[in-house]
Amino acid sequence: LTSLFPLQLDFWLAPRRLGRPVDIRVPFRSLQAVKAHLEASGVSYSIMIEDVQALLDEEQTEMLRSSRQRSVDTATFNYEAYHTIDEIYNFMDMLVAENPNLVSKLEIGRSTENRPLYVLKFSTGGTNRPAIWIDTGIHSREWVTQASGVWFAKKIVQDHANNEGVASILETMDIFLEIVTNPDGFVYTHTTNRMWRKTRSKHAGAICVGVDPNRNWDAGFGDAGASGNSCSETYHGPYPNSEPEVKSIVDFVKSHGNIKAFVSIHSYSQLLLYPYGYTTTPAPDDKELNEVSAKAVAALSSLYGTQFEYGSIITTIYRASGSTVDWTYNQGIKYSFTFELRDTGRYGFLLPAKQIVPTAQETWLALKVIMEHARDNMY
Amino acid sequence: IPESGHKYYLQFSTEDYRTGEDAGNCLATVLFPKKKSRPVVSIKCSHTKDQKEIQEEDNKFYQRIRHQSKPITANNIPDSYGNIEPALEPVWALAVAGSSSIMWEKSTETLAYNLAQVKSVRQWIRKDDFIEFDYTVLLHEMPTQEIISCHMRLTWLPGQPLKVKHFCAPGHGAEQGSGAESGSAAGPPAEKGASF
Repeated sequence: LTSLFPLQLDFWLAPRRLGRPVDIRVPFRSLQAVKAHLEASGVSYSIMIEDVQALLDEEQTEMLRSSRQRSVDTATFNYEAYHTIDEIYNFMDMLVAENPNLVSKLEIGRSTENRPLYVLKFSTGGTNRPAIWIDTGIHSREWVTQASGVWFAKKIVQDHANNEGVASILETMDIFLEIVTNPDGFVYTHTTNRMWRKTRSKHAGAICVGVDPNRNWDAGFGDAGASGNSCSETYHGPYPNSEPEVKSIVDFVKSHGNIKAFVSIHSYSQLLLYPYGYTTTPAPDDKELNEVSAKAVAALSSLYGTQFEYGSIITTIYRASGSTVDWTYNQGIKYSFTFELRDTGRYGFLLPAKQIVPTAQETWLALKVIMEHARDNMY
Repeated sequence: IPESGHKYYLQFSTEDYRTGEDAGNCLATVLFPKKKSRPVVSIKCSHTKDQKEIQEEDNKFYQRIRHQSKPITANNIPDSYGNIEPALEPVWALAVAGSSSIMWEKSTETLAYNLAQVKSVRQWIRKDDFIEFDYTVLLHEMPTQEIISCHMRLTWLPGQPLKVKHFCAPGHGAEQGSGAESGSAAGPPAEKGASF
Protein backbone atom coordinates (compact mmCIF):
# COMPACT_ATOMS: atom_id res chain seq x y z
CA LEU A 1 0.00 0.00 0.00
CA THR A 2 2.89 2.37 0.81
CA SER A 3 4.14 2.27 -2.76
CA LEU A 4 0.78 2.97 -4.39
CA PHE A 5 1.42 6.72 -4.67
CA PRO A 6 -1.69 7.64 -6.70
CA LEU A 7 -3.76 6.57 -3.69
CA GLN A 8 -2.15 9.44 -1.71
CA LEU A 9 -2.26 7.48 1.54
CA ASP A 10 -0.92 9.25 4.60
CA PHE A 11 0.52 6.82 7.17
CA TRP A 12 0.07 8.21 10.69
CA LEU A 13 1.49 4.99 12.11
CA ALA A 14 3.73 3.40 9.51
CA PRO A 15 4.10 -0.34 9.01
CA ARG A 16 6.93 -1.65 11.18
CA ARG A 17 6.62 -5.35 11.81
CA LEU A 18 4.08 -8.14 11.80
CA GLY A 19 1.47 -7.87 14.47
CA ARG A 20 1.89 -4.10 14.85
CA PRO A 21 -1.05 -1.82 13.98
CA VAL A 22 -0.89 0.59 11.07
CA ASP A 23 -2.85 3.86 11.01
CA ILE A 24 -3.67 5.39 7.64
CA ARG A 25 -5.43 8.59 6.65
CA VAL A 26 -7.25 7.76 3.42
CA PRO A 27 -8.44 10.45 1.01
CA PHE A 28 -12.09 10.08 0.18
CA ARG A 29 -11.57 9.06 -3.43
CA SER A 30 -9.23 6.22 -2.45
CA LEU A 31 -11.58 4.77 0.17
CA GLN A 32 -13.14 2.11 -2.01
CA ALA A 33 -9.82 0.97 -3.41
CA VAL A 34 -8.23 0.68 0.03
CA LYS A 35 -11.17 -1.17 1.56
CA ALA A 36 -11.26 -3.57 -1.37
CA HIS A 37 -7.53 -4.18 -1.12
CA LEU A 38 -7.59 -4.82 2.65
CA GLU A 39 -10.61 -7.13 2.42
CA ALA A 40 -9.13 -9.07 -0.45
CA SER A 41 -5.92 -9.53 1.57
CA GLY A 42 -7.83 -10.58 4.67
CA VAL A 43 -6.52 -7.61 6.70
CA SER A 44 -9.00 -6.43 9.34
CA TYR A 45 -9.49 -2.70 9.81
CA SER A 46 -11.58 -0.27 11.84
CA ILE A 47 -12.43 3.39 11.36
CA MET A 48 -10.93 5.63 14.07
CA ILE A 49 -11.92 8.99 12.64
CA GLU A 50 -14.75 9.27 10.14
CA ASP A 51 -13.90 12.74 8.88
CA VAL A 52 -10.49 14.23 9.61
CA GLN A 53 -11.33 17.51 7.91
CA ALA A 54 -14.25 18.09 10.27
CA LEU A 55 -11.89 17.73 13.23
CA LEU A 56 -9.42 20.13 11.68
CA ASP A 57 -12.12 22.70 10.96
CA GLU A 58 -13.26 22.47 14.55
CA GLU A 59 -9.74 22.92 15.83
CA GLN A 60 -9.18 25.90 13.57
CA THR A 61 -12.30 27.64 14.84
CA GLU A 62 -11.35 26.87 18.41
CA MET A 63 -7.81 28.23 17.97
CA LEU A 64 -9.05 31.38 16.29
CA ARG A 65 -11.59 31.86 19.02
CA SER A 66 -9.21 31.32 21.93
CA SER A 67 -6.49 33.55 20.61
CA ARG A 68 -8.65 36.38 19.34
CA GLN A 69 -11.33 36.42 21.99
CA ARG A 70 -10.80 39.32 24.35
CA SER A 71 -10.06 37.77 27.71
CA VAL A 72 -11.74 39.31 30.73
CA ASP A 73 -8.81 38.87 33.08
CA THR A 74 -5.12 38.14 33.05
CA ALA A 75 -5.79 34.56 34.20
CA THR A 76 -7.52 33.65 30.95
CA PHE A 77 -5.26 35.76 28.73
CA ASN A 78 -3.49 33.62 26.15
CA TYR A 79 0.25 34.01 26.79
CA GLU A 80 0.98 31.44 24.10
CA ALA A 81 -0.18 33.64 21.25
CA TYR A 82 0.88 36.86 19.57
CA HIS A 83 -1.41 39.80 20.26
CA THR A 84 -2.35 43.12 18.71
CA ILE A 85 -1.55 46.43 20.37
CA ASP A 86 -5.15 46.81 21.56
CA GLU A 87 -5.02 43.40 23.21
CA ILE A 88 -1.74 44.22 24.93
CA TYR A 89 -2.91 47.64 26.11
CA ASN A 90 -6.09 45.98 27.38
CA PHE A 91 -3.98 43.37 29.19
CA MET A 92 -2.08 46.16 30.95
CA ASP A 93 -5.29 47.75 32.18
CA MET A 94 -6.56 44.42 33.46
CA LEU A 95 -3.28 43.75 35.27
CA VAL A 96 -3.44 47.13 36.99
CA ALA A 97 -7.10 46.67 37.88
CA GLU A 98 -6.39 43.27 39.40
CA ASN A 99 -3.33 44.42 41.35
CA PRO A 100 -3.81 48.07 42.21
CA ASN A 101 -1.45 47.90 45.17
CA LEU A 102 1.44 46.61 43.13
CA VAL A 103 1.02 47.77 39.54
CA SER A 104 0.40 51.18 38.02
CA LYS A 105 0.49 52.40 34.43
CA LEU A 106 2.48 55.49 33.50
CA GLU A 107 2.24 57.38 30.24
CA ILE A 108 5.75 58.64 29.53
CA GLY A 109 5.00 60.26 26.19
CA ARG A 110 3.38 59.83 22.79
CA SER A 111 4.67 58.26 19.62
CA THR A 112 4.98 60.07 16.26
CA GLU A 113 1.48 58.87 15.36
CA ASN A 114 0.27 60.00 18.78
CA ARG A 115 -0.05 56.61 20.41
CA PRO A 116 0.48 56.56 24.17
CA LEU A 117 3.79 55.17 25.41
CA TYR A 118 2.94 53.14 28.49
CA VAL A 119 5.26 51.88 31.20
CA LEU A 120 4.09 49.52 33.93
CA LYS A 121 5.48 50.30 37.37
CA PHE A 122 5.74 47.46 39.88
CA SER A 123 6.30 48.79 43.39
CA THR A 124 5.56 47.75 46.96
CA GLY A 125 6.02 51.28 48.22
CA GLY A 126 8.76 53.68 49.24
CA THR A 127 9.66 56.87 47.42
CA ASN A 128 11.75 56.73 44.28
CA ARG A 129 13.35 53.43 45.21
CA PRO A 130 16.33 52.18 43.22
CA ALA A 131 14.83 50.68 40.11
CA ILE A 132 15.20 48.23 37.28
CA TRP A 133 14.07 49.10 33.77
CA ILE A 134 13.10 46.54 31.14
CA ASP A 135 11.88 47.37 27.64
CA THR A 136 10.65 45.10 24.85
CA GLY A 137 9.53 45.79 21.30
CA ILE A 138 11.75 48.76 20.51
CA HIS A 139 12.20 47.09 17.12
CA SER A 140 8.65 46.31 16.11
CA ARG A 141 9.25 43.16 14.02
CA GLU A 142 10.82 41.35 16.98
CA TRP A 143 7.46 39.99 18.10
CA VAL A 144 8.72 37.47 20.64
CA THR A 145 9.96 40.40 22.73
CA GLN A 146 6.63 42.19 23.22
CA ALA A 147 5.04 38.79 23.84
CA SER A 148 7.70 38.03 26.45
CA GLY A 149 7.14 41.44 28.03
CA VAL A 150 3.50 40.54 28.59
CA TRP A 151 4.56 37.28 30.22
CA PHE A 152 7.13 39.09 32.43
CA ALA A 153 4.41 41.47 33.66
CA LYS A 154 2.23 38.58 34.73
CA LYS A 155 5.19 36.75 36.24
CA ILE A 156 6.14 39.68 38.45
CA VAL A 157 2.59 39.82 39.80
CA GLN A 158 2.51 36.07 40.39
CA ASP A 159 5.89 36.01 42.17
CA HIS A 160 4.73 38.81 44.42
CA ALA A 161 1.47 37.03 45.23
CA ASN A 162 3.31 33.79 46.05
CA ASN A 163 6.14 35.54 47.87
CA GLU A 164 8.79 33.89 45.72
CA GLY A 165 11.11 34.79 42.85
CA VAL A 166 11.31 38.57 42.45
CA ALA A 167 9.16 39.21 45.53
CA SER A 168 12.35 39.80 47.53
CA ILE A 169 13.65 42.24 44.94
CA LEU A 170 10.38 44.18 45.14
CA GLU A 171 10.97 44.71 48.85
CA THR A 172 13.69 47.21 48.12
CA MET A 173 13.47 48.03 44.41
CA ASP A 174 10.89 49.02 41.80
CA ILE A 175 10.56 47.47 38.35
CA PHE A 176 9.59 49.49 35.28
CA LEU A 177 8.48 47.58 32.19
CA GLU A 178 7.73 49.13 28.80
CA ILE A 179 6.18 46.38 26.70
CA VAL A 180 5.36 48.15 23.42
CA THR A 181 8.26 50.56 23.13
CA ASN A 182 7.59 51.26 19.45
CA PRO A 183 3.78 51.20 19.06
CA ASP A 184 3.63 52.81 15.61
CA GLY A 185 6.04 50.23 14.21
CA PHE A 186 4.16 47.46 15.97
CA VAL A 187 0.84 48.43 14.44
CA TYR A 188 2.57 48.66 11.05
CA THR A 189 3.82 45.08 11.41
CA HIS A 190 0.23 43.97 11.91
CA THR A 191 -1.39 46.02 9.19
CA THR A 192 1.19 46.41 6.44
CA ASN A 193 4.68 45.03 6.73
CA ARG A 194 5.56 42.27 9.17
CA MET A 195 9.27 43.05 8.71
CA TRP A 196 9.10 46.71 9.78
CA ARG A 197 11.83 47.59 12.31
CA LYS A 198 12.00 51.33 12.74
CA THR A 199 9.69 54.05 14.03
CA ARG A 200 7.24 55.68 11.59
CA SER A 201 8.51 59.22 11.68
CA LYS A 202 8.82 61.47 8.62
CA HIS A 203 11.54 64.05 9.01
CA ALA A 204 12.04 67.06 6.80
CA GLY A 205 14.24 66.20 3.87
CA ALA A 206 14.09 62.46 4.48
CA ILE A 207 13.04 60.40 1.47
CA CYS A 208 11.99 57.40 3.50
CA VAL A 209 9.98 56.83 6.68
CA GLY A 210 11.30 55.78 10.03
CA VAL A 211 14.36 55.99 12.26
CA ASP A 212 16.11 53.07 13.91
CA PRO A 213 15.29 53.69 17.58
CA ASN A 214 18.39 51.73 18.56
CA ARG A 215 20.70 54.16 16.76
CA ASN A 216 19.00 57.35 17.91
CA TRP A 217 20.52 57.64 21.40
CA ASP A 218 23.17 60.19 22.33
CA ALA A 219 26.15 57.87 22.59
CA GLY A 220 28.50 57.97 19.65
CA PHE A 221 25.54 59.31 17.69
CA GLY A 222 26.17 59.33 13.96
CA ASP A 223 29.49 57.48 14.23
CA ALA A 224 30.27 54.37 12.23
CA GLY A 225 27.71 51.73 13.08
CA ALA A 226 24.62 53.60 11.91
CA SER A 227 23.44 55.02 8.62
CA GLY A 228 22.73 58.60 7.55
CA ASN A 229 20.45 57.36 4.79
CA SER A 230 16.78 57.61 5.79
CA CYS A 231 15.97 54.56 3.67
CA SER A 232 18.31 52.37 5.70
CA GLU A 233 17.14 50.05 8.47
CA THR A 234 19.84 51.54 10.71
CA TYR A 235 19.12 55.23 9.99
CA HIS A 236 20.13 57.16 13.10
CA GLY A 237 17.75 60.03 12.49
CA PRO A 238 18.45 63.75 12.03
CA TYR A 239 19.75 64.25 15.60
CA PRO A 240 19.89 62.35 18.92
CA ASN A 241 16.49 61.75 20.56
CA SER A 242 14.66 62.96 17.45
CA GLU A 243 12.28 60.08 18.06
CA PRO A 244 9.63 60.64 20.74
CA GLU A 245 9.84 56.93 21.58
CA VAL A 246 13.47 57.47 22.54
CA LYS A 247 13.15 60.96 24.04
CA SER A 248 10.41 59.84 26.40
CA ILE A 249 12.67 57.19 27.89
CA VAL A 250 15.59 59.61 28.10
CA ASP A 251 13.40 62.10 29.97
CA PHE A 252 12.06 59.39 32.25
CA VAL A 253 15.50 58.02 33.13
CA LYS A 254 16.91 61.47 33.81
CA SER A 255 14.03 62.61 35.97
CA HIS A 256 13.84 59.33 37.89
CA GLY A 257 17.54 59.51 38.63
CA ASN A 258 17.68 56.22 40.53
CA ILE A 259 17.69 53.46 37.92
CA LYS A 260 20.34 50.88 38.71
CA ALA A 261 19.84 48.31 35.96
CA PHE A 262 18.59 48.84 32.41
CA VAL A 263 17.74 45.98 30.06
CA SER A 264 16.62 46.46 26.46
CA ILE A 265 15.28 43.37 24.75
CA HIS A 266 15.55 42.40 21.09
CA SER A 267 15.45 39.33 18.90
CA TYR A 268 16.93 37.30 17.28
CA SER A 269 20.42 35.76 17.67
CA GLN A 270 20.55 34.45 21.24
CA LEU A 271 23.04 36.90 22.69
CA LEU A 272 23.51 38.80 25.94
CA LEU A 273 25.33 42.07 25.28
CA TYR A 274 26.71 44.99 27.27
CA PRO A 275 28.39 48.31 26.26
CA TYR A 276 30.02 49.46 24.13
CA GLY A 277 28.79 49.23 20.58
CA TYR A 278 30.16 52.52 19.30
CA THR A 279 33.77 52.06 20.37
CA THR A 280 36.28 49.27 20.81
CA THR A 281 37.42 50.80 24.09
CA PRO A 282 36.18 48.38 26.77
CA ALA A 283 33.68 49.76 29.25
CA PRO A 284 35.29 50.47 32.65
CA ASP A 285 33.07 47.77 34.20
CA ASP A 286 33.71 45.29 31.42
CA LYS A 287 35.02 42.60 33.76
CA GLU A 288 32.06 42.72 36.11
CA LEU A 289 29.52 42.90 33.27
CA ASN A 290 31.17 39.92 31.69
CA GLU A 291 30.92 37.92 34.90
CA VAL A 292 27.26 38.83 35.40
CA SER A 293 26.56 37.87 31.79
CA ALA A 294 28.20 34.50 32.25
CA LYS A 295 25.99 33.79 35.24
CA ALA A 296 22.86 35.08 33.52
CA VAL A 297 23.47 32.99 30.41
CA ALA A 298 24.11 29.88 32.52
CA ALA A 299 20.80 30.43 34.30
CA LEU A 300 18.98 30.91 31.00
CA SER A 301 20.48 27.79 29.54
CA SER A 302 19.61 25.69 32.58
CA LEU A 303 15.93 25.60 31.65
CA TYR A 304 15.79 24.29 28.08
CA GLY A 305 19.44 24.15 27.05
CA THR A 306 19.19 27.24 24.85
CA GLN A 307 22.70 28.43 24.02
CA PHE A 308 23.56 32.13 24.28
CA GLU A 309 26.81 33.94 23.58
CA TYR A 310 27.73 37.03 25.51
CA GLY A 311 30.12 39.95 25.47
CA SER A 312 30.29 43.61 24.55
CA ILE A 313 28.16 44.73 21.63
CA ILE A 314 31.07 45.57 19.36
CA THR A 315 32.98 42.34 19.94
CA THR A 316 29.99 40.02 19.93
CA ILE A 317 27.57 41.25 17.30
CA TYR A 318 28.83 44.29 15.36
CA ARG A 319 29.68 47.98 15.69
CA ALA A 320 26.54 49.98 16.43
CA SER A 321 26.46 53.66 17.35
CA GLY A 322 23.75 55.57 19.17
CA SER A 323 22.43 52.44 20.85
CA THR A 324 20.25 52.40 23.94
CA VAL A 325 22.49 50.78 26.51
CA ASP A 326 25.60 52.72 25.51
CA TRP A 327 23.68 55.86 26.48
CA THR A 328 22.24 54.44 29.69
CA TYR A 329 25.67 53.17 30.71
CA ASN A 330 27.24 56.57 30.11
CA GLN A 331 24.49 58.02 32.31
CA GLY A 332 25.90 55.96 35.14
CA ILE A 333 23.56 52.96 34.95
CA LYS A 334 26.24 50.36 35.41
CA TYR A 335 24.13 47.27 34.77
CA SER A 336 23.08 48.04 31.22
CA PHE A 337 22.37 45.01 29.06
CA THR A 338 20.80 44.13 25.72
CA PHE A 339 19.34 40.72 24.98
CA GLU A 340 18.84 39.13 21.59
CA LEU A 341 16.31 36.35 22.20
CA ARG A 342 15.49 33.19 20.18
CA ASP A 343 16.22 31.90 17.66
CA THR A 344 19.44 31.89 15.62
CA GLY A 345 17.87 32.24 12.18
CA ARG A 346 15.69 29.26 11.42
CA TYR A 347 12.50 31.24 12.02
CA GLY A 348 14.20 34.52 12.92
CA PHE A 349 11.60 37.22 13.45
CA LEU A 350 8.78 34.78 12.66
CA LEU A 351 9.26 32.69 15.79
CA PRO A 352 6.36 30.23 16.20
CA ALA A 353 3.98 31.25 18.96
CA LYS A 354 4.56 28.02 20.85
CA GLN A 355 8.08 29.24 21.60
CA ILE A 356 6.86 32.43 23.31
CA VAL A 357 6.45 31.01 26.79
CA PRO A 358 9.64 28.91 26.83
CA THR A 359 11.56 31.94 25.56
CA ALA A 360 10.05 34.19 28.22
CA GLN A 361 10.65 31.62 30.97
CA GLU A 362 14.32 31.12 30.19
CA THR A 363 14.94 34.85 29.66
CA TRP A 364 13.34 35.58 33.00
CA LEU A 365 15.95 33.44 34.74
CA ALA A 366 18.69 35.56 33.20
CA LEU A 367 16.87 38.77 34.12
CA LYS A 368 16.63 37.61 37.71
CA VAL A 369 20.39 37.13 37.86
CA ILE A 370 20.88 40.70 36.66
CA MET A 371 18.26 42.11 39.03
CA GLU A 372 19.62 40.23 42.02
CA HIS A 373 23.14 41.33 41.23
CA ALA A 374 22.00 44.94 41.02
CA ARG A 375 20.21 44.61 44.35
CA ASP A 376 23.20 42.97 46.03
CA ASN A 377 25.73 45.41 44.58
CA MET A 378 23.98 48.70 45.15
CA TYR A 379 25.97 51.73 44.07
CA ILE B 1 47.87 36.77 5.77
CA PRO B 2 49.97 39.80 4.86
CA GLU B 3 49.60 40.91 1.25
CA SER B 4 47.16 38.10 0.59
CA GLY B 5 43.96 38.50 2.63
CA HIS B 6 42.17 37.04 5.64
CA LYS B 7 41.97 33.31 6.21
CA TYR B 8 39.50 31.68 8.60
CA TYR B 9 39.67 28.17 9.99
CA LEU B 10 36.33 26.68 10.89
CA GLN B 11 35.19 23.60 12.70
CA PHE B 12 31.46 23.04 12.94
CA SER B 13 28.79 20.40 13.36
CA THR B 14 25.75 19.98 11.14
CA GLU B 15 22.25 18.76 11.82
CA ASP B 16 19.34 17.50 9.79
CA TYR B 17 17.16 20.53 9.11
CA ARG B 18 13.96 18.64 9.64
CA THR B 19 14.71 16.38 12.58
CA GLY B 20 17.60 18.14 14.29
CA GLU B 21 19.57 14.89 14.30
CA ASP B 22 23.32 15.19 14.16
CA ALA B 23 24.42 15.00 10.52
CA GLY B 24 28.20 15.09 10.81
CA ASN B 25 31.08 17.48 11.36
CA CYS B 26 33.03 19.67 8.98
CA LEU B 27 36.43 21.27 8.78
CA ALA B 28 36.83 24.22 6.46
CA THR B 29 39.10 27.05 5.52
CA VAL B 30 37.84 30.27 3.94
CA LEU B 31 40.21 32.73 2.38
CA PHE B 32 38.97 36.25 1.61
CA PRO B 33 41.50 37.63 -0.84
CA LYS B 34 42.62 41.23 -0.50
CA LYS B 35 41.39 41.94 -4.02
CA LYS B 36 37.57 41.76 -4.03
CA SER B 37 37.16 38.36 -5.69
CA ARG B 38 35.02 35.56 -4.34
CA PRO B 39 36.30 33.73 -1.27
CA VAL B 40 38.24 30.52 -1.70
CA VAL B 41 36.72 27.67 0.27
CA SER B 42 38.02 24.22 1.06
CA ILE B 43 35.81 21.93 3.08
CA LYS B 44 35.70 18.37 4.27
CA CYS B 45 32.76 16.82 6.10
CA SER B 46 31.97 13.54 7.74
CA HIS B 47 28.52 12.26 6.85
CA THR B 48 26.58 10.33 9.41
CA LYS B 49 23.68 9.73 7.08
CA ASP B 50 23.64 6.82 4.68
CA GLN B 51 23.55 7.83 0.99
CA LYS B 52 20.88 5.25 0.24
CA GLU B 53 18.65 6.63 2.98
CA ILE B 54 19.10 10.13 1.56
CA GLN B 55 18.15 8.89 -1.89
CA GLU B 56 15.02 7.20 -0.57
CA GLU B 57 13.93 10.33 1.29
CA ASP B 58 14.58 12.48 -1.75
CA ASN B 59 12.42 10.16 -3.83
CA LYS B 60 9.55 10.11 -1.37
CA PHE B 61 9.71 13.87 -1.21
CA TYR B 62 9.81 14.15 -5.00
CA GLN B 63 6.83 11.82 -5.43
CA ARG B 64 4.75 13.83 -2.96
CA ILE B 65 5.29 16.96 -5.01
CA ARG B 66 4.81 15.20 -8.34
CA HIS B 67 1.46 13.80 -7.31
CA GLN B 68 -0.20 17.13 -6.58
CA SER B 69 -3.37 17.48 -8.60
CA LYS B 70 -2.90 21.25 -9.07
CA PRO B 71 0.25 23.38 -9.16
CA ILE B 72 1.17 24.52 -5.66
CA THR B 73 0.86 28.23 -4.92
CA ALA B 74 1.20 29.85 -1.51
CA ASN B 75 2.13 33.05 0.30
CA ASN B 76 3.93 33.87 3.53
CA ILE B 77 5.73 30.76 4.69
CA PRO B 78 6.01 30.94 7.68
CA ASP B 79 3.13 33.33 8.29
CA SER B 80 3.39 36.31 10.63
CA TYR B 81 2.90 34.00 13.61
CA GLY B 82 5.62 31.54 12.62
CA ASN B 83 3.20 28.89 11.36
CA ILE B 84 3.97 26.62 8.43
CA GLU B 85 1.14 24.48 7.13
CA PRO B 86 2.31 20.86 7.21
CA ALA B 87 1.35 20.42 3.55
CA LEU B 88 3.68 23.27 2.63
CA GLU B 89 6.71 22.04 4.56
CA PRO B 90 8.36 20.41 1.52
CA VAL B 91 7.95 23.65 -0.40
CA TRP B 92 9.57 25.56 2.46
CA ALA B 93 12.35 22.99 2.66
CA LEU B 94 13.13 23.44 -1.04
CA ALA B 95 13.18 27.22 -0.51
CA VAL B 96 15.67 26.80 2.33
CA ALA B 97 17.94 24.72 0.11
CA GLY B 98 17.59 27.03 -2.88
CA SER B 99 18.05 30.26 -0.97
CA SER B 100 21.14 28.86 0.72
CA SER B 101 22.71 28.96 -2.72
CA ILE B 102 21.75 32.63 -3.09
CA MET B 103 23.18 33.36 0.34
CA TRP B 104 26.34 31.44 -0.52
CA GLU B 105 26.84 33.73 -3.47
CA LYS B 106 25.97 36.98 -1.70
CA SER B 107 27.80 36.48 1.59
CA THR B 108 31.04 38.32 2.14
CA GLU B 109 33.50 38.67 4.99
CA THR B 110 31.23 41.38 6.43
CA LEU B 111 27.75 40.51 5.16
CA ALA B 112 25.70 37.54 6.36
CA TYR B 113 22.20 36.34 5.55
CA ASN B 114 19.30 34.33 6.90
CA LEU B 115 16.13 33.29 5.13
CA ALA B 116 13.48 35.48 6.77
CA GLN B 117 10.39 34.33 4.90
CA VAL B 118 9.08 32.79 1.70
CA LYS B 119 6.87 35.60 0.46
CA SER B 120 5.31 33.63 -2.38
CA VAL B 121 5.74 30.42 -4.29
CA ARG B 122 4.27 29.10 -7.48
CA GLN B 123 4.85 25.74 -9.04
CA TRP B 124 5.32 25.39 -12.80
CA ILE B 125 4.27 22.00 -14.13
CA ARG B 126 6.78 20.70 -16.65
CA LYS B 127 6.36 18.11 -19.38
CA ASP B 128 9.59 16.39 -18.31
CA ASP B 129 10.28 14.87 -14.87
CA PHE B 130 11.77 17.96 -13.29
CA ILE B 131 9.86 19.85 -10.63
CA GLU B 132 10.03 23.60 -10.89
CA PHE B 133 9.14 26.44 -8.51
CA ASP B 134 9.18 30.21 -8.71
CA TYR B 135 9.81 31.86 -5.35
CA THR B 136 9.99 35.30 -3.89
CA VAL B 137 12.11 34.99 -0.77
CA LEU B 138 13.03 37.59 1.81
CA LEU B 139 16.60 37.49 3.07
CA HIS B 140 17.59 39.19 6.31
CA GLU B 141 20.98 40.85 5.85
CA MET B 142 23.38 41.43 8.77
CA PRO B 143 24.71 43.75 10.05
CA THR B 144 22.74 46.17 7.88
CA GLN B 145 19.43 44.67 9.11
CA GLU B 146 18.00 45.09 5.63
CA ILE B 147 15.35 42.78 4.23
CA ILE B 148 16.34 41.87 0.68
CA SER B 149 13.72 40.54 -1.72
CA CYS B 150 14.95 37.90 -4.16
CA HIS B 151 13.24 36.15 -6.99
CA MET B 152 14.33 32.52 -7.23
CA ARG B 153 13.62 29.90 -9.86
CA LEU B 154 14.40 26.40 -8.74
CA THR B 155 14.40 23.14 -10.70
CA TRP B 156 15.09 19.70 -9.32
CA LEU B 157 15.19 16.03 -10.08
CA PRO B 158 16.34 13.59 -7.39
CA GLY B 159 19.90 12.51 -7.96
CA GLN B 160 20.71 15.82 -9.65
CA PRO B 161 22.03 19.00 -8.07
CA LEU B 162 19.42 21.66 -7.35
CA LYS B 163 19.41 24.30 -10.10
CA VAL B 164 18.87 27.80 -8.80
CA LYS B 165 18.55 31.03 -10.76
CA HIS B 166 18.07 34.19 -8.75
CA PHE B 167 17.70 37.95 -8.95
CA CYS B 168 17.72 40.08 -5.83
CA ALA B 169 16.19 43.55 -5.80
CA PRO B 170 18.83 46.19 -5.07
CA GLY B 171 18.97 47.10 -1.39
CA HIS B 172 19.67 50.61 -0.14
CA GLY B 173 23.08 50.83 -1.74
CA ALA B 174 23.64 47.11 -2.02
CA GLU B 175 24.97 45.68 -5.28
CA GLN B 176 22.60 43.89 -7.61
CA GLY B 177 23.24 40.77 -9.59
CA SER B 178 21.50 37.94 -11.28
CA GLY B 179 23.14 34.61 -11.01
CA ALA B 180 22.65 31.13 -12.27
CA GLU B 181 24.08 28.66 -9.91
CA SER B 182 24.19 24.92 -9.91
CA GLY B 183 23.30 24.04 -6.38
CA SER B 184 25.90 21.45 -5.66
CA ALA B 185 28.89 22.61 -7.70
CA ALA B 186 31.38 23.98 -5.20
CA GLY B 187 28.74 24.18 -2.54
CA PRO B 188 28.54 22.58 0.88
CA PRO B 189 27.47 18.93 1.01
CA ALA B 190 23.94 19.83 2.02
CA GLU B 191 23.33 21.09 -1.51
CA LYS B 192 23.44 17.66 -3.10
CA GLY B 193 19.92 16.87 -4.17
CA ALA B 194 18.34 18.59 -1.20
CA SER B 195 18.63 15.77 1.30
CA PHE B 196 16.11 16.35 4.07
